[in-house]
Amino acid sequence: MLVIRRRPGEALMIGEGVEIEILDCTPSQVKLGIRAPKQVTVLRKEIHLTGEQNRLAASQLTPDGMDRLLDGFRGK
Amino acid sequence: MARILTRQFGLFEYDPAAAIEFPAGLPGFEARRQFVLIERASIAPILFLQSLDSPDLCFPAAPVRAIDPQYELALTADDLRLLGSGAAEDLIALAILSAPNDGPLTANLLAPVVIDPRSRRAVQAVRMDRRYSHRHPIVKETACW
Repeated sequence: MLVIRRRPGEALMIGEGVEIEILDCTPSQVKLGIRAPKQVTVLRKEIHLTGEQNRLAASQLTPDGMDRLLDGFRGK
Repeated sequence: MARILTRQFGLFEYDPAAAIEFPAGLPGFEARRQFVLIERASIAPILFLQSLDSPDLCFPAAPVRAIDPQYELALTADDLRLLGSGAAEDLIALAILSAPNDGPLTANLLAPVVIDPRSRRAVQAVRMDRRYSHRHPIVKETACW
């Protein structure tokens, strides 16, 4: 992983046209400002993971998946 | 009664008043707003969140407390606004289940589906903390060692 040290007011660029600026920083939180082209999706990672997990869950409802589901809960 | 021809359950009849609205959709399915819960005593506590907009779309789920009896909800001001709830009481919290063919059954405890039974509105409340995993393994209690 690339590690860069920045201070509030400083920024960095990712690829073409994505800019991330450090707006504020406390001991427990960093406030970021993001400038990106419209077609670039910016999501909190938890939301991205949940989207992936939702797509997975919806795609597994085959008869086999249903069996795994019932089996996984047996004994609970 | 209204009817929908679902992929999983065939023709399903439901009371339109029991429909649940997700004002913001769910991550990955932002345009799907109307759902209904399908419960079957024979497979409890598993239940299904069936889309009314898309008959093919259905999520298996289970109450978070059936997975972790100590589970504590953490709702943001945005979640409560979307739910239209004055108070965070009597809310139904479900975890969406994932049954991959190459791994254990998991539950998304990071982002429970929270339903307000009075407003019939729901939100998938993605937590800001890191207390729970989006792939919480469901371990059988019948351990064999």
